[in-house]
Amino acid sequence: MAFLTLERVSKEFGTFTAVRDVNLTIDKGEFVSLLGPSGCGKTTTLQMIAGLVEPTQGRISLDGHDITHEKPNRRGLGVVFQSYALFPHMTVAQNVAFGLEMRRVPQAERTERVREALSLVQLSSFADRYPRQLSGGQRQRVAIARALVIAPPVLLLDEPLSNLDAKLREEMQFELRRIQRKVGTTTIMVTHDQAEALSISDRVVVMEDGRMTQVDAPYRLYEQPSNTFISSFVGKTNLLAGTWRRSGAEIGGVLLEASAPEIAAGTPVTLSIRPEKLLLRDAGAGRLDGRVASRFFLGSQWLFTVETSLGTMTVTIPNQGEEPPAEGSPVSLDWSPANLRVIADTAAAA
Amino acid sequence: MQKNGPVALIFHVLVLTFVLAPLVIICLVAFTPENTLSLPTTGLSLRWFEAVFAHPDFMASFWNSIWLATFSATLAVAFAVPAGLAISRYTFPGRDFLNALFLSPLIIPHLVLGVAFLRLFALIGATGSFAWLVATHTIIVTPYVLRLVLAALSGLDRSAEQAARTLGAGEWTTFRRITAPMILPGITGGWLLAFINSFDELTMSIFVTSPATVTLPVRMYMYATESIDPMMAAVSALMIAITAAAMLVLDRAFGLDRILVGQR
Repeated sequence: MAFLTLERVSKEFGTFTAVRDVNLTIDKGEFVSLLGPSGCGKTTTLQMIAGLVEPTQGRISLDGHDITHEKPNRRGLGVVFQSYALFPHMTVAQNVAFGLEMRRVPQAERTERVREALSLVQLSSFADRYPRQLSGGQRQRVAIARALVIAPPVLLLDEPLSNLDAKLREEMQFELRRIQRKVGTTTIMVTHDQAEALSISDRVVVMEDGRMTQVDAPYRLYEQPSNTFISSFVGKTNLLAGTWRRSGAEIGGVLLEASAPEIAAGTPVTLSIRPEKLLLRDAGAGRLDGRVASRFFLGSQWLFTVETSLGTMTVTIPNQGEEPPAEGSPVSLDWSPANLRVIADTAAAA
Repeated sequence: MQKNGPVALIFHVLVLTFVLAPLVIICLVAFTPENTLSLPTTGLSLRWFEAVFAHPDFMASFWNSIWLATFSATLAVAFAVPAGLAISRYTFPGRDFLNALFLSPLIIPHLVLGVAFLRLFALIGATGSFAWLVATHTIIVTPYVLRLVLAALSGLDRSAEQAARTLGAGEWTTFRRITAPMILPGITGGWLLAFINSFDELTMSIFVTSPATVTLPVRMYMYATESIDPMMAAVSALMIAITAAAMLVLDRAFGLDRILVGQR
């Protein structure tokens, strides 16, 4: 059931088009991420939904109502800003209560709802602190509590975890997902971190240059990227340029078996294979011979770069407790043809 | 921070001494028991302070200056805050002109302003009115408030305002509840600086005050041209005390270097 809809939404700043022709339908209760490199228009899209930026063209509707030109204070959406945007002159409780105060919620109910919101983000004992007395992660949770306490139909998160250190970021990912599951609020999160987008979203919207280029569940996005940009932006991959033949791709005079039903023979294509889908075999035993150029031990896995006749390939293998081939040793790469992703080279994908 | 070498250190000490010595001496002279401007060598006395407080003209001028500084600093805030918001947030035709216009009293010599206002007041028949005196002081102190308000606004995280908007606050409520409290240090600092500048202003005031609205600096100037006695030193010491107290409040509350240098 379409809850929030963006129809052909565009935004131009002077001659620069930040967002073009975005069509997106989000269901109630969904957690959707807008993923892309900086400057791809994801934050502008979020701000248009929040009402902080007015679209140049297009229509945004929420629960059947057109909200394209509605003021932000009439939309009632919860927004968590990248800088958290807490009110420095108010305590945590006053920050969280602000939205309720604006809605003229009676004092007793206000106190109760603030208490609930703070306990949801596990900050009950910090109600009387000021934002400057809190750590980054705590501020972030105050910002979430403040956005959620007004029971918004949609929660908008703008790079909510980017100001946190790596360990805290990981914890907060789980925390965000836990809170979202518990409250069930439709959530849209903007991020440039593909790992973050993959781990907590129901669906990921990839944006490039103001355009939406793929909308998919995280797993499908990872396994079936629609272009070479996505395949290398979302996770790591090995890309091989070649030409499509009937039963596979011809790359550097070698025919690699793969399947891609909709591509005509002779079309230029790019093959994408993930480092973890490549297997290391003894020399001569696999599909492509090579030599170990370098190897890095990452704890849970090994990262190899292997020189082959088709170029340098990156391979990761799980740490099985045995030492793998040393640098300089001849090896062979093997893979299952089903794991070769064939991407037709189009103007958009180039 | 870099450490000063011995030469630089001596230089700084000399500069500070040169600047502070007259102030220290005038304050010491204020406590003299003698009838002439002299250092209190025979003992300390408060007789010249008593003389000031007993002098009706000086007391009238003192209160006149206090009210003048209060009104003009407050009016300057009333102009500078909306002007600062407009200049820092919107692009509109004449924006740079407006900014330059508000800051121009800093550049124009007060002597020139004084003569110009004198002529203007004579033309419109406003000579001698306290309200017009307030107007002239408001004009010369507004730049101080505007600069501090602009500095405060440029350092403001606008997403806090956006957050307030998304939480249901209208534009006016957002200003009242979020923006104003966040730039309050700039506003208060600007008000105090404006107050001090109005309270100290002499050059322009000589031209635009009337016998009924003589300010304290003008009264001192008039008095000093006729006779010099230690009462002048006592008045000076009082003025220094008031200004220093205001600066101290400013520094304690917001940090002087932050306000004057514009660091946040």
